[in-house]
Amino acid sequence: MSARVPPDVAKQLRFFSPHEYLIMQAVAERIVGAPTSGTPSASDIGVALRADVFLSTADPEIQDQFHQLLTVFNAPLFTFLFDFRFSSFINMKSEDQDSYLEDWMTSIVGFRRTGFQALKRTSLSMFYTEPRSWKEIGFDGMDTR
Amino acid sequence: MIIQSKDITKPVRESADVCIIGSGCGGGASAKILSESGKKVIVLEEGGYFTPKDFQPTEEFAYTNLYRQRAGQATDNLAVTVLQGKCVGGSSTINWTTSLRTPEFVLENWARDFKVQGLSLKDLDPYFNRIEDYLNIHAEPDENHNAQNRLILDGARKLGYRAKANGRNTKDCANLGACGLGCPIGAKLSVDITYIPDAVKAGATIFSGFRAESIEVKGGRKEVLGTVIDQATQKPKFGFTIEAPIVILSASAIFSPLLLLKSKLANSSGQVGKHLTFHLTSALLGLFDNPMYPSRGIPQSALCDEFINKNGDSGGFWMEAVPATPTLASLALPGFGATHRALMHQYQNMGATIVLVKEIDSEGSVTVNDNGRPSISYSVGPRDMQYLKQGIKTTAEVQFAAGAKEILTLHARTTSFKSVDEITRVLSRADWGTNEIALYSAHPLGTCRMGEDPRSSVVDSRCQAHDVKGLFVIDGSVTPTSLGVNPQITILAIAEKSAAWIAENFDQIVR
Repeated sequence: MSARVPPDVAKQLRFFSPHEYLIMQAVAERIVGAPTSGTPSASDIGVALRADVFLSTADPEIQDQFHQLLTVFNAPLFTFLFDFRFSSFINMKSEDQDSYLEDWMTSIVGFRRTGFQALKRTSLSMFYTEPRSWKEIGFDGMDTR
Repeated sequence: MIIQSKDITKPVRESADVCIIGSGCGGGASAKILSESGKKVIVLEEGGYFTPKDFQPTEEFAYTNLYRQRAGQATDNLAVTVLQGKCVGGSSTINWTTSLRTPEFVLENWARDFKVQGLSLKDLDPYFNRIEDYLNIHAEPDENHNAQNRLILDGARKLGYRAKANGRNTKDCANLGACGLGCPIGAKLSVDITYIPDAVKAGATIFSGFRAESIEVKGGRKEVLGTVIDQATQKPKFGFTIEAPIVILSASAIFSPLLLLKSKLANSSGQVGKHLTFHLTSALLGLFDNPMYPSRGIPQSALCDEFINKNGDSGGFWMEAVPATPTLASLALPGFGATHRALMHQYQNMGATIVLVKEIDSEGSVTVNDNGRPSISYSVGPRDMQYLKQGIKTTAEVQFAAGAKEILTLHARTTSFKSVDEITRVLSRADWGTNEIALYSAHPLGTCRMGEDPRSSVVDSRCQAHDVKGLFVIDGSVTPTSLGVNPQITILAIAEKSAAWIAENFDQIVR
């Protein structure tokens, strides 16, 4: 694993371990989609850090399940067992990450589809609740007359 | 008086004539009626207390402060997202104002199949009239419908289907579109600004940030035990005990059965937590040439009810609009990554319509998990699945009739039509399994069902537990079947009627 969590971010983490933070960040980048010119990425919005804050106050069983999900989703043993891939998710190339996510989304195994939904909901809700994501979709906030 | 958890500096011990757990439609209406009858009432609300000026019309604020699990509450397998309020006023604070009477055929089913007494349309008529007057329920004039509601009216009528403006509980509405985020101008006449202030005026005490954990029955007295929750951190601060001869559970169809199960009460029938219905919901997102502004204007002001109980089997579906704020839209759209982001670029041209199924053979339940929190499961029955598919097909036809150029369903794998001719073929190839199509519920009901037979129901027709005198369940959990309509008026009417009976018979109940 080549990526490192910046020390100032690591200090802020309440729920994720630094390693989990990197997995969440990588997942969010692929689920939100690559930015086009002038639009923010998931990292620009701080999706993983926002998810960390949210999950730190979630019910205990949700916290436990999310920790387990990130472990299973990323671990080379499981990527091999599920998809005959020999790499952890965070070390895959972008196109392989997308293909791996697609496999989870459409898997015949129910818990993988459930896991994908958890990752998708966390990533997108942390991205689109942040006002900096609105400009590119033409949304300028709710009417506040 | 409203006391918030931030002002609590030590463990709390109080007593009252009536302790009500939950401050939504069931709890709020009960609190008003009972406090106005002279009873000392304490209301416990797990969520926070907010006034209209506190509301910030953003999804971030609303989901964090007003919704259960940041609007992410779901069945254990995440197949159905279950939206519920968690604040003073409960789900009425964050609903989209649709205010409908209970359909007569539903009340007839309850009387016939569950021997429910005193809840015929004739019995409830005076309550409906009073509530409609109190909450200023009215249909919007034609010019007030936004593009998404216009879509339903125009598309359905073109195809010859019945569609109409629905009642709404608002006064001086400015059409801001923020009903689901907490109305910042107090125009929505939700429980937090109607029943609760009236209850407080009559002497009720509301404790917010107070999570009830269990109920103990000691002879004729009952104790509600729980935890004062710090609203900022969601961490426990202190314990509390409220003693009262009458306890009313109004914590919703998810949390009322949870408390009964944890307390090991009122379950000789084995029915507590069973028969959960969702008013199962999915949606279609139509793409239009012109902007639809899916989060602007009144969220829900029109519906198509052509297909409810049409076959006389009490099942079916109908259509309503939905305020597709950015996050809701993003979660509903299929796929992920570049494809998903490209779809989001068409956000303002999307018209969203929801399909709501009145279940007849689905089955859900609420149980207690290892952490003492609710475990929610739900399985879609074959007939309801047929109605869901038919509803999606028919709604797509309505959207095309209203001018949609392309329509997306909420399947995980992108599923879309560009013409009416494609609908049947595309839907027949679509995946309908768990997490292969996004499903929602904003109307969980039925987990402590009402009936006159103690072997098959939890409470009687007055909402009193068969097993425990003085313990009532007054909320959406008592409905014996799916309603098929947005439930707030039904819950308010049942609450007003049951609370009035409690007030009249207080001495006899507590003797």
